[in-house]
Parts: sequence; structure tokens; C-alpha cells
Amino acid sequence: MFQKKSALASLGSLMVLCMFMFVMVCPALAAKDRIVLAVGGESEEGYDPLLGWGSYGNPLFHSTLLKRDADLKIVPDLAREWTLSKDKLTWTVKIREGVVFSDGSALTAADVAFTFNKGLEAGGKIDLSPLESAKAMDKTTVTLKLKTPDITFIQHLITLGIVPEKLYGPGYARAPIGSGPYKLVRWDEGQQMVVEANDRYYGTKPAIRQLVFLFSEEDAALAAARAGEVDVLGVPSNLAGQEIPGMRLHVVKSVDNRGLMFPMVPDEGRKTPNGLAVGNSVTADVAIRKAVNFAMDREALVAGILDGHGRSAFGVVDDLPWDNKDIRFKDNDPAKAIAILEQAGWKDTDKDGVREKNGLKAEFTIVYNAKDSLRQGLALAVSDMLRPVGIKAVPKGESWDRIKTELTHTNVVVYGFGDHSPLEMFKLYHTPGPEPMYWNAGFYSNATVDQYLEQARAAESFEASIPFWQKAQWDGKTGFTMPGDAAWAWMVNLDHTYFVNKCLNVGKSQMEPHGHGWPITANIHEWKWICE
Amino acid sequence: MIMKNTLILFCLKKILRLMLLMAAVATFSYVLVSFSPVNPVDAYLGTAILKVSPEQREIIAKRWGLDQPPVERFFNWASQLIQGNFGLSTIFNEPVLSVIGKRFVTSFWLMFLAWTLSGIFGFVLGVLSGTFENSVLDKSISLYAYTMASTPTFWVGMVLLTVFSIQLGWTPVCCAWPVGLSPEQATLGQRVHHLVLPAFTLSLIGIAQITLHTREKTIEAMNSDYAAFARAQGEKDLGIAFRHALRNVLLPAVTLQFASIGELFGGAVLAEQVFSYPGLGKTTVEAGYRGDVPLLLGIVIFSTLFVFAGNTMADLIYQAVDPRIRKTGGLI
Repeated sequence: MFQKKSALASLGSLMVLCMFMFVMVCPALAAKDRIVLAVGGESEEGYDPLLGWGSYGNPLFHSTLLKRDADLKIVPDLAREWTLSKDKLTWTVKIREGVVFSDGSALTAADVAFTFNKGLEAGGKIDLSPLESAKAMDKTTVTLKLKTPDITFIQHLITLGIVPEKLYGPGYARAPIGSGPYKLVRWDEGQQMVVEANDRYYGTKPAIRQLVFLFSEEDAALAAARAGEVDVLGVPSNLAGQEIPGMRLHVVKSVDNRGLMFPMVPDEGRKTPNGLAVGNSVTADVAIRKAVNFAMDREALVAGILDGHGRSAFGVVDDLPWDNKDIRFKDNDPAKAIAILEQAGWKDTDKDGVREKNGLKAEFTIVYNAKDSLRQGLALAVSDMLRPVGIKAVPKGESWDRIKTELTHTNVVVYGFGDHSPLEMFKLYHTPGPEPMYWNAGFYSNATVDQYLEQARAAESFEASIPFWQKAQWDGKTGFTMPGDAAWAWMVNLDHTYFVNKCLNVGKSQMEPHGHGWPITANIHEWKWICE
Repeated sequence: MIMKNTLILFCLKKILRLMLLMAAVATFSYVLVSFSPVNPVDAYLGTAILKVSPEQREIIAKRWGLDQPPVERFFNWASQLIQGNFGLSTIFNEPVLSVIGKRFVTSFWLMFLAWTLSGIFGFVLGVLSGTFENSVLDKSISLYAYTMASTPTFWVGMVLLTVFSIQLGWTPVCCAWPVGLSPEQATLGQRVHHLVLPAFTLSLIGIAQITLHTREKTIEAMNSDYAAFARAQGEKDLGIAFRHALRNVLLPAVTLQFASIGELFGGAVLAEQVFSYPGLGKTTVEAGYRGDVPLLLGIVIFSTLFVFAGNTMADLIYQAVDPRIRKTGGLI
């Protein structure tokens, strides 16, 4: 009796062991239609497009009226056709018929209109303020009426995920229902999110059925990848040099740029309504700004600070469709920088290595966010590059809060921008209001540039706006870039680096905006597992 | 009858105290938070800050009631609080109580495990150490306790994580259950597996405190007259410790154990941060960094309650443990 029981017990424990092993091994067997991603993307307030979910790339659970393809061309998604009225105030969008949300209910023009109207007042991270109202004309036609002509509004047609009117309410963000390629299965806050292919999706069904997004800290994600638990891992470029078994490095170009913002007006004691000092007499001189642009060795910055994972930046929209290629110039040219300074009257008369003009020393502070080692590296390197031409640039780390509330209008600041919408360019270079904050913090103002920017916004189609965006950068005579006013000295565009399982084909990634991680999922429905 | 009356009196006094404490904590934390340099709208927007116009910022501020003056906001908040409404977390866009509820369940197991472990081990080690004062055992236990008492939790956490999770691969690197599973799918074994390292880290430090304190008390008891008397009767050290000293040491140990609930909260904040363990501690850090005032204040009030409950429990347990207090009715 005793014997028998013990045998039974050991059989039992063997079975338990087997089950345990099975549970441990199971995920490895199923890896074909399920991948684990550590690319961030947790939206703590939930997955509600009206509060801003998806405005940086792919809303995943929702579909949008339009989208950008791998080359950033605007292509239809939910929309079949779209037109802008003659007065450029009313968009008329016809949507596909027969589209349903993942719960099976039909998606109609009323849902689209609801999404836009509600988004206007929701008070989230999206800014629909150009919109006056949206209206469903019939089941598949919706009109969006704007307050003033604004072609950049198209960005909202590209990024705003459509929500179902019936289901939208306080709990929606935590149980999102949409018409996108995937649907949310479970979200363990602070930990992970499991999503599954939406069988009711109208587009090409994704090849990978289940995605697990891991929301752990960088170190933990890296350790998990080393343990073979992660298939796609976003890493900062300084960690991209290592080898992770079974994974390859996937480098994506971006417009995630870093540049030096120059205060454009001289220091005359002017203050903003909130009491922030404005102006810097050194950087108000275009000769100084051009000299900085020429003296800088951008390729060295890419090689030294970004470990080669990036490219030189000359403007705020490098290589985007509205980039003006004529603004490129040969940098790393200290001789030219010196010539410009000499000609403008900046001379080193007291032989201390720093030039001066009318008793003013060619000296300024480069302020950067002290928490950001990349920006620190750039500031220090540029400071070294400027010394030989006789400009003293003192790098100084500060907290973001101090930069924003005290320093931004009087110092050269290292900023990062980069977006898929040229609206950003407008905000950075159009004559600012009295309190611009980080938008055009240097108070740059050029009537011709303003005119181009306004014309671009008022264009009748996105294609038609592109020449104006390009002319604002440089029209052959003036512009905000280096050949013109040189309002900024752009330094580098980062590459976004990912480790991807060797068995996973992630297709052609879009040029990514500012923000590393989630944007890689833009074409996730095309991803394929290529191993047996 | 007298007993019953004192108990009622005890409860009333406690409740009154709790009310005063809550009011003070609420006011004081609100004032502190209002000096925070963090702009909640900026913190909320994150990278989206570059896409949002000043007008939209005003809409956001309005949604949260930030357009009202601080004093008015405080009274609004306080009056809602009295009705049991803790408000809406700005980060999570969800009622504060529901955020705390979800996170606390995760934290509770961590804290409970750490607390029990540190209580039991700390007490046993302390008694052993104190009984055999100046022996090798005592010296090694003391060394350990002093080292741990002067080591920050997050550092211990990082060391353990590096050794056990990354180099040895015995324990998982993150999270409260395995990647890709739901809490229901995860077996108890798996959950414990994920809990072990953070709980161990957290208890290591608790152990040190309790060990050192118990050790002192045990030494005191071992050198007392009654111990000398027992020794004269031929009792061995271990026997004296267990028959005589233990009862005297228990009371301060219980106090310390329950008082340590507050520290446990503090320790959990750091341990959870290191282990990416999605509990209340990690949420507190988030709330602070990102200026989520309703959530932060909610957590402050919740933890006040928690710590207060711990201390009250200690008071009640005295009764059970120590007949002297029971007799004098010295409840308060």
C-alpha cells in the first residue's frame, strides 16, 4: 500500500513536471504566429484616439481615413476618395462600404463625424482646433468643415483613429474597439499588452496573429532579449553596437533631428508677457549663425556621438517629401566660417582666442537638457568645433523646466524636432506670438518666409503645398535655412535602432518621426515570420 | 463591562486621531505638491508637446480644472474627498481609487511576503544573535544586519537582479507574471517565481532592522536578574532565551514589525522601480514625476491609512501579547 502510493506520487510529480516543461516550452513552439515586442507604446491613459492615441504613428486597433505608405506618400485607408472644396474649407470624404468594427457593428460616416467632433472637445493630446465641425451627409459620406483654409489638417485624416459612436464613453480607453488590423486582448498595466489579429479587418490580414508588447524598462527589456524572449527590441543607438544571439540590427532612418536654436533678436531688455527675457546680441548677427553652420563637422558628430547611426542634418525636414534639396552645403569648413566672421567685423583684437565686434565678445551658452547624454555630447562637441574659428560656446546642462521657463529665449538651446507633418515647420519659423514657448523660441521673423508658410497652409491640396514649404526654406534669395537667415544650426538626424529576430521580416520601415519605438509598427500588418 | 467601555473609548479616540491626521496630511501634501516645478500639462503631453497649440493646452487644463486658482481647487478636492471621491488620475484617465486598487493588489503580495519573511527571520536571527552574544554566530549576524541596514534598497535590488536574473538566469528580469500570459493563466508557481526576487530584496532590509532591535532587547533580557536566577538553577542559554527572554522581547518586536509597515511602503517604491514590478510603488514615482496631483494625493492618503492601520493593529496586539497592559487597561 505504502509502496503503491509513493509510486503514484512520483508519477504525479512527473506529470506535473512534464506539464511545467510544456508550459515553459510552449511559447517557443508557437513563435510563428506570435511575436514579442519591446518597443514601448504603453499609453497609460488608455487607447483612445481622441485623447491622442496613435498620433505618433500607428493606432493599431483603429483605422484612419488616410495613411502614409513606406515612402510617406498619402494613400487611402478607410476613405475611398476625398476632395477639398473650392474655398478650401470643406473636406468631403467618402468611406469604404461594409467596414465593421471588431465587435461586428458597422462603421458609418456618423462614426467618423462623431470622432472628429468629439476629438475637438476631448482635451487630449491631439489638436483639432482648425476644425469647425464634422457632419455625416449619408451612410458613407462625411464632411469636415474648417474655420480657415489649412492643408496641414490632412495630418488628422492620416492619424486620427475612428471610434464607434455607440461604444465611446468613460471606459472606452481601456477596452478600445476599432476597425484596425489588430484588436486588444488584454492589457496588464505597466507590464504588457496582448493583441490579436482582427478577423473583421477590411485590409490585408496580418500574417502574425498575436503580438505581445512588453512595457518594461530598457535594462529589463534588453535582458529579456538576451534570454531570447523578445523578437523586436528598440534600443538607443549607443547600445546598438552589441551582439544579441538570434537577432540582427535593423536601422531605420528618421527625421528625429537635433539642432541649435538661435535667439534671433538682440538683447534689448525685452520680456515676454510671462516675464521671460528675450534676445541675444551675439546670435542675432547672421554672420555668427552662418559661421556656426559652416564650422560644424556634422559627419564627425554622427560618427562620434551617434556611433554612426544617423546622418547630417541641414534642415528640420531632411529627406521628407517637402524637403528642399538646395539647402545642403559643404560644412566642416572653418576657413569659410572665419572669412564670414572677418567680413562681418568679428575680429580677435585682444588675442584671447575669442573674436569681438564693437566690444561684444563672440560668446554664447549652449543649453541642453542635462538628463539627455546625447544632447550633452552634441553640445560639447560643437563647442570644441567652434573654438578654432574664434567663437566661444559654453555648453551647460540644465533641467527642462528651467530651460522652458527661464533660458529658452536668451540662449542657444539644443532642441529635437521631426514630424510627418510640415505644420511643425510652420510653428518653428512663422513669426511667433508674444509667448511662443518652444515654438520659435528665437523669435525668428521674416515676412517673405511668413508669406510662403501661409500660402503653403492655404494650398488647395497637399501636393500643391509642397513647393511653398520648400520655398520657405530657401527660395533662391531668402529663407530660414542656412543659405538664407540660418535661424538654426541643425546638426544631426538620428537613426532609430532596433534588434529584430533573424526569422522576422519587418519589410520596409517608414522614415520615423521624433520618438523612437512605436513608429516601427507602422507596417506591422506586413511583417512575416520567415523561418520554418 | 469596563473592558467594553474602554474598547469603545479606544476606538473613538483612534478615529478622532485618524481624522485629524488625514486632514493634516491632506493639507500638507497639497501645499507641498503645489510647490512642485512640474507642469502637469507638459508632463502629460510628453513628446506630443510639439504638436499641441496653446489653445489646446488650455482645453486640457480646463478638463482637469487647472484653470481655477489653487486654493479653490483645494477646497473642491477636499469636499469631494469627504464624499469619497478621490478624483480622476491625469496620467491614467481613470478614477484614482480604481488605479490604486489595481496597483495595490499587485503590491500587496510583494509587501505581505516581504513583511512576513522579514518579521520571522529578523526575530529568529535577533534572538539567536542576542542569546549568544559575541559568538561567531552573533558577529556574522550583526555584520550582515549592519551591512543591510546601511544599504539602499534599490542598490541591493540591482545587485540581486544582475546576479540572479541576468548572470545565473534563475529568476525573471521583470514583471509580475510571465510575458504573454494573463494573471489567470499564470500558475501560482510562476507568480511566486516572479515575486521571489523583489520580495527577497525588500525583506533583506526589513530583516536587518528587526534583527538589530531584537538582538539588543535579547541581550538586555539575558543580562537581567531573572535570567541570572534561571542560570543559577542550571538552565542553559538557549533555554533561558526561549523560556524567559522571548516573552519580553516579543513586545518591542511586534511594535517594530507593525511600525515597519511605513518603511515597507517606502522600500516597495524603490524595489518595484528596479524590478519593473507594476505595483503601487512604481505608480507613486510616475505620479510624482508627471505631476498627477489627484493620484499622488490619493496614494498619500491611502498609505497614511495603511500605516495608521498597522500601528493600531500593534496597539491591539499588545493586549493579546502582554497581560500587564490588559490588566491595567492601559489601552492608550
